[in-house]
Amino acid sequence: MSDVPYMPPMPATADHAGATVEHEKAGLLGWLATVDHKRIGILYLLTSLVFFGVGGIEALLMRIQLARPNNSFLSPGEYNQIFTMHGTTMIFLVAMPALTGMANYLVPLMIGAKDVAFPRLNAFSFWLLAFGGLFLYFSFIAGGAPAAGWFSYAPLSEQPYSSTTGVDYYAIGLFVLGMGSIAAAINLIVTIAGFRAVGLTIRRLPLFVWMVLVTQVLILLALPALNASLSMLLIDRLMNGHFFVSDSGGSALLWQHFFWAFGHPEVYIVVLPAFGMISEVIPVFSRKVIYGYEFVAASTVAIAVLSFLVWAHHMFAVGLGHSIDVVFAIGSMLIAVPTGVKIFNWIATMWGGSIRFTTSMLFATGFLVMFTIGGLSGISFAAFPIDWQVTDTYYLVAHLHYVLFGGTVFAIFAGVYYWFPKISGRMLSERLGKIHFWLMLVGFNMTFMVQHFMGLIGMPRRVFTYPDLPGWAALNMTSTIGAVIMGIAVAIFLWNLIVSFVAGEPAGNNPWDAWTLEWATTSPPPEHNFDLLPPIRSRRPLWDLAHPEDPDWKHGR
Amino acid sequence: MDAESTVERFVTVDTYQFAVTLFLISEGAFFAFLIIAYVYFHGSMTSGPNASSSLNPLKTGIYSVFLLASSFTVSAAERKLSSGRRRAFSGWLLTTILLGAIFLVGQGREYFNLYRAGVTVSRNVFGTSFFTLTGFHGLHVLLGLLALCILFALAMRGDFQTGRSNAIRAVALYWHFVDWIWVVIFFIVYVWALF
Amino acid sequence: MQTDSSLLRDSVLAQPISHLFLIVGIVMAAIFLLVTVLVVYVSFRYRDRAANQFPRQEFGRTSLEILWTVGPVVILVFIFAATIRAMKESDPEFSANQQPNLVIVAHQWWWEARYMDSGVTAANEIHLPVGKRLFVRLESADVIHDWWVPQLGRKMDAVPGHPNFLWLEADSPGFYPGTCAEYCGAEHAWMRIGVIAEAEPDFEHWAQRQLEVPSKLPSGGDAAQGAELFQQLTCGNCHTIAGTSAQGKIGPDLTHIGGRLTLAAGRFQNTPTNLALWLTDPQAVKPDSHMPNFQLTDPQVRQLTAYLETLQ
Repeated sequence: MSDVPYMPPMPATADHAGATVEHEKAGLLGWLATVDHKRIGILYLLTSLVFFGVGGIEALLMRIQLARPNNSFLSPGEYNQIFTMHGTTMIFLVAMPALTGMANYLVPLMIGAKDVAFPRLNAFSFWLLAFGGLFLYFSFIAGGAPAAGWFSYAPLSEQPYSSTTGVDYYAIGLFVLGMGSIAAAINLIVTIAGFRAVGLTIRRLPLFVWMVLVTQVLILLALPALNASLSMLLIDRLMNGHFFVSDSGGSALLWQHFFWAFGHPEVYIVVLPAFGMISEVIPVFSRKVIYGYEFVAASTVAIAVLSFLVWAHHMFAVGLGHSIDVVFAIGSMLIAVPTGVKIFNWIATMWGGSIRFTTSMLFATGFLVMFTIGGLSGISFAAFPIDWQVTDTYYLVAHLHYVLFGGTVFAIFAGVYYWFPKISGRMLSERLGKIHFWLMLVGFNMTFMVQHFMGLIGMPRRVFTYPDLPGWAALNMTSTIGAVIMGIAVAIFLWNLIVSFVAGEPAGNNPWDAWTLEWATTSPPPEHNFDLLPPIRSRRPLWDLAHPEDPDWKHGR
Repeated sequence: MDAESTVERFVTVDTYQFAVTLFLISEGAFFAFLIIAYVYFHGSMTSGPNASSSLNPLKTGIYSVFLLASSFTVSAAERKLSSGRRRAFSGWLLTTILLGAIFLVGQGREYFNLYRAGVTVSRNVFGTSFFTLTGFHGLHVLLGLLALCILFALAMRGDFQTGRSNAIRAVALYWHFVDWIWVVIFFIVYVWALF
Repeated sequence: MQTDSSLLRDSVLAQPISHLFLIVGIVMAAIFLLVTVLVVYVSFRYRDRAANQFPRQEFGRTSLEILWTVGPVVILVFIFAATIRAMKESDPEFSANQQPNLVIVAHQWWWEARYMDSGVTAANEIHLPVGKRLFVRLESADVIHDWWVPQLGRKMDAVPGHPNFLWLEADSPGFYPGTCAEYCGAEHAWMRIGVIAEAEPDFEHWAQRQLEVPSKLPSGGDAAQGAELFQQLTCGNCHTIAGTSAQGKIGPDLTHIGGRLTLAAGRFQNTPTNLALWLTDPQAVKPDSHMPNFQLTDPQVRQLTAYLETLQ
């Protein structure tokens, strides 16, 4: 745990254009009025954490209802609202804010900048998230939460089938969230393009920054598709429009095409920054440079491009015709290749290394296997006659949770354990962290591995109960017990956050012996981020400083 | 108020222009979907009013000329500003606003006539897709006009002394977008109605 | 035999999919094993040791990148070929003017089936002749639903305004359970399907019985009262009983409800007790279903139950 050795003085660079660089105010007002990317990042992360708890409770309620067949813990109406809100919450109010929060906090630090390009726009983006989330949840007390599923298929989402205002709250809430995401994307792209410190070429970007950049481009192009769709849905619902109502000339399938034009890039939006965090964590704890940097970066672009070409693989059972099914199957199979490239490069990074299994590294290693499972079941869907059997069943629920939880959430855990010291100045408890990890690994697999089989023996998704068919009750009960274990793991995580924040070991600048610029300043950093920057001649400025006999730039990197 | 930082930066990027351009890309994507919806439903109308029966491309075309002209006038305004001719700058800015307003008035009249003929958002898919596409465009024109008015008021108050303004550049770019996306919409909605 | 299983006893159109799943499954298992073994291996072999604090920094090797890019592509080509074959075998092509043998209309939350050849109308429980391949047109009366009987083959959405087509063939007699597989609102969970496949003579016999109109009203007792009540209480506005003035098409056809295995699309077994429960308060049995609580008295329920049970 060495601090960074003496660095030759260099002017702190990368100021943001002019105007009023306000100094942060004290106390609560300081937080509410902040335009500092670090505080905004923390606000995003805290918001995400709160909604993670809410979404998790929603999940537990669902699993309690499903623990036994013909259960009546929840009514169908209650269950349907809860599963809709669970999915909507986890994607829009947990995954995206958590990743945006990490990006917000880390990107300026990692590129040696003082802040993002537009600090006030940054704050505005956050408050749009807060408002949108509260607005969406207000629906529970305004006549009922939306109950048409997180992707809100028409005509179920239209009048008269969704007759409460729930879907209106959904549409407006998500529209607001979308605006916030687009604003943040613009901010981050301009920041990465224009505010890098001297010496930080695009080829020397930390992979997290690189993947955040690609993600923002995805957001810029995909979120407008969602906003257009939501506008059209609202026009149908509130102004008697006919976009998606087939009785009056509209098209239910058009909604699906439009939604998934957003929805598919969206899943990469929530996974690429996760890949970015893994790409930072694994090298540091393996004490080895990332293997195949260029290929990991290039495969990210390949994934981004392909992500716009596969949307109708969510519609294989809709009756588009074999020719169209085949086209989308090809794209869906191809998109597995760049992802596989990454997995192999991460393993190759660990190979020959000197691996320290901190909690962060445990989650990153767990991620490798969990995400692979999810990716492989994804390939089975791409072989679309299989999709014809297992789509819209618990096999699909299993797949999506392996990639989104085993993937994104595990990566976020890895990132939190890695960067919490930088953000708070204190170390998270490794003892509690390891308990968190192992309980989570067991609980997660117990919950979701059995769901593959539930789907294969005929259980559809989005059902508030099920008949007492052979095996169904036992598998569902197992899944529920696993969910309870996951809940305990999350509780331990929350406890860890609290006690460590209050009384954790002081972290110092660089507790992990890491190499990117955020570790070249104090923990937490001062408001202006850096007093001094090390010379930047490669992707790992701090490695170069600590290893003058074998700096990266000697290898031409 | 717009003082650019003089601290050394690695790469020189015109941040405001870049940001507005990115924003306009996202807006373009938004309009693309509204256009796709319109195209999808075009010609699928079996009953009720459709583009051919309801629209007047000639009249709307004339109003469109005003809007397109305003794209040139806002460019003229920028050129005058950078060459220090502030009064000419304000004049061209005002002209831009007036031309844009004329377009909106024309749109308003068209909407009113359609409403009187029973062509509404809820009438059929033509009504829904037509009003959604042109309505969102009109909303963007209105917001652009508001921004231009604010700039004009600031100019009257003596602002923009340096001959270069990020705000003017940003609004002008936005205004160009609004004008030229209208060309696309005009062809797809009004010209296509003739066939 | 009540197992819902995609893995057991697949009929002829389901077998190619199971076969494909086996192939893909083996590939998935192999890749999973490879990745897991590698991860476990590096985790143990390259654990932090005092002796190896500064491992050699390796930046990459292009030949390796090519290997693990091209390798997966080759595997995928192989899977793609298997996919195309399974597609053709499980979902055979049909000509544009192929006439359906069976029209299935999905409703919130029940299934209507109309046999085009014989004119039979059924609800929720659909009989098929063994060994015959029927061409089905799938429609929806309201929102998107999905027809899924795993042992018979693929699922297919029922989309309003967009009729879909699929083949159904049961190659051995038995009961094939299925369910709606596209979330369609409150009672999506109870929109179950029962396919009863029987030898062709038995199927014909069943079809003949379905076409029979209840010849006369029950002579006396509760059933007769029930028959009258059915007409009086406007049940016919939603339901059809052939040979009576009840010709509603909103709810399931009840002409032969007595002979069905389950009630309310699989909600529970068809017994007089359950039927009485349903009639007493449909909303308690299947909340938000479209049959309101008619506030029937106990005698009314008893009589209607008796009547409906006679409709075999």
